[in-house]
Amino acid sequence: MPAIQVTNLTKTFRTKRKAAGLGASIRSLFHPEYKTIEAVRGLSFEMESGELLGFIGPNGAGKSTTIKILTGILFPSGGEAKVLGFIPWKQRQKLAYHIGTVFGQRPQLWYHLPAIDTLILFGKIYEMEDRETRRRIAELAEVFEITDLLETPVRKLSLGQRMRCEVAASLLHKPKLLLLDEPSIGLDVVAKQHIRDALREMAKQENVGVLLTSHDAGDLEALCKRVIIINHGQIIYQDKVSTLKRSFLNSKLVEVRYAEQIPTGFHIEGTETLKVAKERYGVKLRFDPRITPVEKVMVALSAAGTLVDITVSDPPLEEVIAAIYKKGASPSPLLERGTG
Amino acid sequence: MKKYLAVFKINLLNSLTYPAELVTRSAMILLFMWIFFQLWRITFTAAGSDIINSLSLRDTMWYLLLAETLELGRPRLARVISEQVKDGSIAYLLNKPYNFLLYQLSSGLGESLPRMGMLFVLGGAQVWAMAGPPPDLVNWPIALVALAGAWLLHFCVNALIGLSAFAVEEVAPFEWIYQKLVFILGGMLIPLDFYPVWLQTIAKSLPFAYMMYGPARLFVQPDPVFFTQIILGQLLWLAVLGGLLVLVFSRGMKRLAINGG
Repeated sequence: MPAIQVTNLTKTFRTKRKAAGLGASIRSLFHPEYKTIEAVRGLSFEMESGELLGFIGPNGAGKSTTIKILTGILFPSGGEAKVLGFIPWKQRQKLAYHIGTVFGQRPQLWYHLPAIDTLILFGKIYEMEDRETRRRIAELAEVFEITDLLETPVRKLSLGQRMRCEVAASLLHKPKLLLLDEPSIGLDVVAKQHIRDALREMAKQENVGVLLTSHDAGDLEALCKRVIIINHGQIIYQDKVSTLKRSFLNSKLVEVRYAEQIPTGFHIEGTETLKVAKERYGVKLRFDPRITPVEKVMVALSAAGTLVDITVSDPPLEEVIAAIYKKGASPSPLLERGTG
Repeated sequence: MKKYLAVFKINLLNSLTYPAELVTRSAMILLFMWIFFQLWRITFTAAGSDIINSLSLRDTMWYLLLAETLELGRPRLARVISEQVKDGSIAYLLNKPYNFLLYQLSSGLGESLPRMGMLFVLGGAQVWAMAGPPPDLVNWPIALVALAGAWLLHFCVNALIGLSAFAVEEVAPFEWIYQKLVFILGGMLIPLDFYPVWLQTIAKSLPFAYMMYGPARLFVQPDPVFFTQIILGQLLWLAVLGGLLVLVFSRGMKRLAINGG
């Protein structure tokens, strides 16, 4: 049985529309105008149990709304969904025993209390034996490296430390499925890596299915085997991550800052110069690591001057989506690629 | 039930995290009780009597203390739920295996008890010094039972206002109206005994009297018949408002739109 089955899922919201200014505010009191937002439009997909599935898209694509429908918090406007055999919005409480959730932008740990207090509370809420809760906390603390943080009030933890505790809390009751909504948002590279490593280990050890939403392609590469990309509430691409990488994530962006100004006509062989900073101290390049090895680019960049700062990143998701549209002309031909 | 007890405990713990803040916030009752004492002392002097409508100045002050303790100590649930809807944190409260309303009840009780305790101790010491000793100890358990009923009624109305945030988000106006109704028709500023009979009749047929006047009056003048009336009235209103709350929650879930997607 698939862990998640979604068929033709839709969700529309009605929000009030009001023009700027006092007059418009008064008018809207008597003649309110509404606009309908289609957050999710006919979404259909399946996820196998134990699968690591990336569910990505730009801001406002409908990722979080879908996750909230799948946890039973939101009622859909149409369509069907089953999560671990439960209809989420009808069997929310029963489903809650089997899933773990992290909404990256919102804390679930008690802010003024040490994380251990929230974990013990969750143990009671999930009806675990006290001894089992303690044992599980110790286990998670080791994997997420939070043993020393558990007794510190959450407000005194860094964002990265807090997120490690948040994800650990979501795994306390040994869920079969973990729904992670932007777990790495706002984290630095090291903190992101920390969470990705711990998650990968837990998923492997306990065969937990992970549905991960993110607008960071790095999360996807590090954690997921398969990816679904949505935009404007619709699936525009679904395939193996390896295929996505080969087809669309095949370039790296490098931003460099030098101690001295770079000469006019600055060029590194095998790269494309995207932008030179106004004062000529910085430059942004793109290259394909399959053609030009990263090492070669780094050597050439450091030979060109005294480096002050360097950042290597994946192309932003918006660019990947634009490339998908460009390649497929419309969403439908890409969907025919199959689920991989 | 264990999980609700745990929710109660963690809220209790959270309320006691900053004891200085708890004491400082509760100390505002000192100002209110001082103003009440000045007003009622002048009123009794002007009336030229030690007793007005069967209440002495001392009774009135202890009545007002209990009413103020309840008003200032009850959880601000309407605001809490509306904030949870606004900032989206309600998502975490709805996806756990518990009854959302019982969670809010246990959580509100854990938050409320230390505050009510502190308000009563501070205000009580002041009223004792200004107006005389507290009512007889036998009155206390009777008042406590009615106080529990009143607290639950406040919970129901507050939660109903809070749940309206599922549809309108901003609930402050409703809360303001409710608070003023409790002030006037609940007998929080003036014991209902001092009202004209027609207004007393109206007030006693509404839930507000059972939320404030009942327990406060029983604290200073317990009477078996009045106690029965108050408890029966509270049970009736709890059935009505509790039923409405469950209905509104199940309907509200279908309308819920969580901010931030």
